[in-house]
Amino acid sequence: MRTIALLGQPNSGKSTLFNALTGSHQHVGNWPGKTVERAEGFFTQGEELYRVVDLPGSYGLTANSAEEVVTRTYIEHGYADIVCIIVDASQLERSLYMLAEFAGVKSPVMLVLNMMDVAEQKGKKIDVQKIEKLLNIPVLGFTAANLDGYPKFFETLSRAIEKKAKISSDKIRDIVEREGEKSRVENLKKLEDLIAALKFDNREKFWVASKLLENDTLVRSEVETAVTPEHWKRIKEILDAEGSDGGLLTGEAKYRFVSEVLREASSGEEKSMKLSRFDKIATHRIWGKIVAFFILVLTLAVSMTIAVPIIAGCFGLQHVAEPLVVQMCEKFGWWPSVASFVNSVIIGGLSVTVAMMGFVFAILVTFGLMEDTGYLARSSYVFDSWLSRLGLHGKAFMPLFSGLACTGGAVCGTRVLDTRGQRLFAMVLLWSIPCGSKVAVVLFLASVFFGSAAPLFGVIYVAMIFASFWLSSKLFGNKLMPVNERVGMIMELPPYHKPHWKILFKTVIRNVWSVFKKAIAVIWFVSLLFWIISYSKDGNVEHSILYTIGNAIEPFTQIFGMRWQLFISYIGGIFSKEASLGVMSVVFSSTSDAFSLISRNEAGANLGEMMRAVVTIPEALAFIFASMFNIPCVLAMGTTYRETHSLKWMLAIAGYYFAISLGLAFVVYHIALWVL
Amino acid sequence: MCLSELQENQKGLIRKINGDSRFISRVVSMGLPPSSPFLVLQNDGRSPVLVYSHDTMIAINRKECMQIDVEMA
Repeated sequence: MRTIALLGQPNSGKSTLFNALTGSHQHVGNWPGKTVERAEGFFTQGEELYRVVDLPGSYGLTANSAEEVVTRTYIEHGYADIVCIIVDASQLERSLYMLAEFAGVKSPVMLVLNMMDVAEQKGKKIDVQKIEKLLNIPVLGFTAANLDGYPKFFETLSRAIEKKAKISSDKIRDIVEREGEKSRVENLKKLEDLIAALKFDNREKFWVASKLLENDTLVRSEVETAVTPEHWKRIKEILDAEGSDGGLLTGEAKYRFVSEVLREASSGEEKSMKLSRFDKIATHRIWGKIVAFFILVLTLAVSMTIAVPIIAGCFGLQHVAEPLVVQMCEKFGWWPSVASFVNSVIIGGLSVTVAMMGFVFAILVTFGLMEDTGYLARSSYVFDSWLSRLGLHGKAFMPLFSGLACTGGAVCGTRVLDTRGQRLFAMVLLWSIPCGSKVAVVLFLASVFFGSAAPLFGVIYVAMIFASFWLSSKLFGNKLMPVNERVGMIMELPPYHKPHWKILFKTVIRNVWSVFKKAIAVIWFVSLLFWIISYSKDGNVEHSILYTIGNAIEPFTQIFGMRWQLFISYIGGIFSKEASLGVMSVVFSSTSDAFSLISRNEAGANLGEMMRAVVTIPEALAFIFASMFNIPCVLAMGTTYRETHSLKWMLAIAGYYFAISLGLAFVVYHIALWVL
Repeated sequence: MCLSELQENQKGLIRKINGDSRFISRVVSMGLPPSSPFLVLQNDGRSPVLVYSHDTMIAINRKECMQIDVEMA
């Protein structure tokens, strides 16, 4: 088996290449001991099996963030048999900087110039063979999103494996000597002498010295432990004299190296660049936001159009299937509990999951489309000022807003964020953003108890959500997004591209399927748990385990203003918001409906009256506030588990909201008792 | 002068980048090393400044613009 590492800047089309190469043979997890996502996949070509490692995207090889540390470490240790550097042909000068950064690492390498079609449209002529000759490594010009080009990719790959060509840093070093400021060049040479006795393994001496000049933390600590204190003192004197911009000497030389290569191999007059008319609107301070809102509302409308028929279909089928199961069980003489189990756990869980996949699908397609076309970066640009206050990137706006449609789907949408810390934090915030069903439940309860004052709860709710953002950013912000790793907004707005529908749909469908698998596992598990604790032979709630527990801990839950009926409804709300109304219907009325935590019983017409008769105002307030920040639903738990690849994080977020909602109920209940 | 002092459609050259190594390495790797020519695409006085350099459109916060010395070209 051979290992290929994909190395490229963001927006270079690295993940398109990765997806096209590996298809469904992918495994996504975490790098050991790191909060960074690790994606690897496999493909076979001829007799050979290849492993592809998709390294986290970064603009260079300096280890500044957790993602960059992973990429850097992998590259400098030479873990891959072949490093495939992928660059955007339409922005060659900037994106080849990655190649210049790599020069000096002694791993076999191949270069892929991606998006040749866009480069052509821009009127650029690129002589691929000339570049290959100048760099003396295998070079391929193609378009990763066009599946016809892959035979050529495999051909270049086999050439790279055969040739084992490396790229040295000699030319860059020559440029430094030729054009660098004399005193700085002297310092570089002194550094090289001081570290000359070290082991450089897979790297050239110049590469290590230039990373030292950049104040790269990994190389600094490596050198510090390897040399004598006396040596280190002298090295440090030079580095201190160079200061924070010591890396500019080599940085400028790298760009010079790139432009020397391109001067011979690429042509095309630089058209006078202007913002396109659409970009003028899309990046406008006010219009840009309006456009983004319009697109998001459209997204939500499309999600609903896709999701609603699926949801209706699922529940329709469920209604057909359930009586059949009951009949079957009667026919075979099985216990009615078997029918109840099959219906509420197996069929019910499946139907909820399939139904919600409509949202996941719609959100992934629209976000993929926005990313593919380049619009996502524009929307991030206009919203960055809002989100940077929370430490988040502007890109987070889209997934957060789509949380209003479906928390579980939006959790999958956080994939547009670049670092895992940002993703985790966005998920934490997402859990507090109510989806349509949650809003409906909260407003229903508010109108039952407070009639025309219900809209006031909407206002309070919005304020509370922002307060919870603040709290979450205090609690998680620094841990997940270290302040010293935030660089303010310096972001690239990639050129617009035509969307690549085929690859987009293939990727989305694969993702939906893998989300479904994880989600159904969680949903079945939780359904089973809920089914067991809420099961009673005769459907009477008082004969269930939950009632026994609920009753036993009622003195405790009453601290939060929740008598057993309310507490059970609250627990049902964890399963789904609709379920919590169904539970209330059963526990507050004398309907003959069998009690179940996971059933989707309709809220009875007289539920309001029943509740008003029993529940006091402070209790109602406590319950409404607890419902606002209750765990969104079991699907959100499932997708969070799948997207974090970590049971620990999913449970931590769940525990956090459990605590917030009960804490809030406690405060509200006691204030209300005291005031009223 | 700093980057945000240039008006829309003015061309400039990067002269010096001030800040810690992390900031400098980020600006350089995004395509704005010293002595790069660039064009200001948008500068409305409030939003981040949009510049074009090395075939790339880059948005830079106004605060970060203060750390980038430029000259008119």
